[in-house]
Amino acid sequence: MKAIDIAKPIPSITTGDSVTAAIHQMTDANLPGVVVVDDEGRPLTVIPGTQVLKMAVLNAYHDDPALVRTIDEESADVFAHDCNARAVGECLPDKIAKAATARSDATLLEVATIMLRGRSPLVAVVDKDKKLVGAVTLTALLGTMAPDTQPA
Amino acid sequence: MSAIAALTIFIVAFIFIASEKVNKVKVVLIAAGLMAVTRLIPGSHVFFSEHEGIDWNVIFLLFGMMIIVGVVKQTGLFDYLGIWAAKRSRGRPYRLMVLLMAITAIASPILDNVTIIMLVVPVTIVVCNRLQIAAQPYIIAEVLASNIGGAATLIGDPPNMIIASRANLNFDDFLIHMTPIVVIVFVVFVILTRFLFRKSFEYNPDQVSAVMTLQEKRAITDVSLLIRCLVVLAAVIIAFCLHTILHVEPSVVALVGAGVMVLVSGIDVEEVLDEVEWETLVFFMGLFIMVAGLGHTGVIAKIGTWAVDTIGQHYFGAATTLLFGSAALGAFFDNIPYAATMAPIVESLAEQIHDDQATQGLWWAFALGADFGGNGTAIAASANVVALGLAARGGHKITFWQFTRYGIPVTILSVFIAWGYVYLRYFM
Repeated sequence: MKAIDIAKPIPSITTGDSVTAAIHQMTDANLPGVVVVDDEGRPLTVIPGTQVLKMAVLNAYHDDPALVRTIDEESADVFAHDCNARAVGECLPDKIAKAATARSDATLLEVATIMLRGRSPLVAVVDKDKKLVGAVTLTALLGTMAPDTQPA
Repeated sequence: MSAIAALTIFIVAFIFIASEKVNKVKVVLIAAGLMAVTRLIPGSHVFFSEHEGIDWNVIFLLFGMMIIVGVVKQTGLFDYLGIWAAKRSRGRPYRLMVLLMAITAIASPILDNVTIIMLVVPVTIVVCNRLQIAAQPYIIAEVLASNIGGAATLIGDPPNMIIASRANLNFDDFLIHMTPIVVIVFVVFVILTRFLFRKSFEYNPDQVSAVMTLQEKRAITDVSLLIRCLVVLAAVIIAFCLHTILHVEPSVVALVGAGVMVLVSGIDVEEVLDEVEWETLVFFMGLFIMVAGLGHTGVIAKIGTWAVDTIGQHYFGAATTLLFGSAALGAFFDNIPYAATMAPIVESLAEQIHDDQATQGLWWAFALGADFGGNGTAIAASANVVALGLAARGGHKITFWQFTRYGIPVTILSVFIAWGYVYLRYFM
């Protein structure tokens, strides 16, 4: 089985899109992350869902659990911070992690190791021109293992 | 020839460190390696010579204090204090600024400046967001206060640790000679901020209720842990003060304190070791080897002799040059490598002056200049750089010039006050 066989077509975002757009893309397509592409449709980076969540939470809270505890429940319920105003590119670190990508003819073992190395629940699948054609999710990959892993 | 080689390696490395284009740890490791491989500093000296090698007293003092601070910061004390201050001020800008500066300045002589900033700035951003005011003036004021407060003790600022080790000064010496002038400078600074930031003060009475809903008591989940940590911290400070009776090095006190802190807190050792800034420790080690290369090849002795010949009997002139020179250079370069380089030069100078009072004056002028110079620009001290990073990520970007516009007048004022103090206390 090849990567393309279990990949599903996904929408992509660019660094200029807002954090809100990234969140919508994840929730609408039920994806565990987003693929950020350049102007020519080549993956720049794959952002796991937890990192998208990190973009939505005020930076001051990230490493300060004591401070987080002081926030009242009403305010904590609406924790998303400035998601419309900030572009995904602004929230990316200076050194962007290389995109977790697999060629469309990559084997499932290749896809699995790319996921492990990139610690990403989403792997972008690219064609021979390195353009995005779809993505393999962790769930889809685990699904292929299911028949073997079920108890007897 | 070896002196020229050592000086060349040192200057090239220093330019790279100052440019901040390359990781400074890589730079010092390469320069230190070159010094050792070319035998400009023998390997045995690198590890086993107290004055011409790695100053393990400074390394282990830093290491021990990093562990102690790493445990203390998990107690939530600073989040509690920050929010308490915001509530007490009821959103009034100057009152809020003074309370935040006071918390920072009181803590920074005990805990290192970078940690204080990392603890206080996030609370400041949250409070300012709630009040819908700009956080920049408060963050800048906190950084300036932490650099002033850190000058008060041996453990408050890394340059002080380096100077103490070189000059054989103990914790009490710093309390006696540095703390009084730091208190004076801080009081003047607090008054100055009223005018310095007057155009930036915003008061939104409608938003005060948003601050009052913050629940500061929830920051501290384990009161018993907090009490245990504070007791150990107090014991460490007392042991530092009793150096003349106990004759235990500050590094040993910090290491024992760190061990006891880990023991009484019950926090996992691995979790505590994550709090150690290994990069900083390696940077210090490389730096000491680089400076040792200069010492071993006679460069430092030559500079010391030249300085003695130049100043003659004009010791106050030398102290003035050290104070203002250190502040000026410390403002544009990281004051840690500056202090590490200059300390042996001042030591060489002091050895050739047979006047105890003047020698003291030189050391304290050097310490005051290096410490207060840390306020000069946005890159002068690690705490400044960390604060600017936190502010930018929190949506309250502070530019280099925005910081420097406030940093320079505060530095000039504090250095002039220190100059008068040095004159009155050591040269009158």
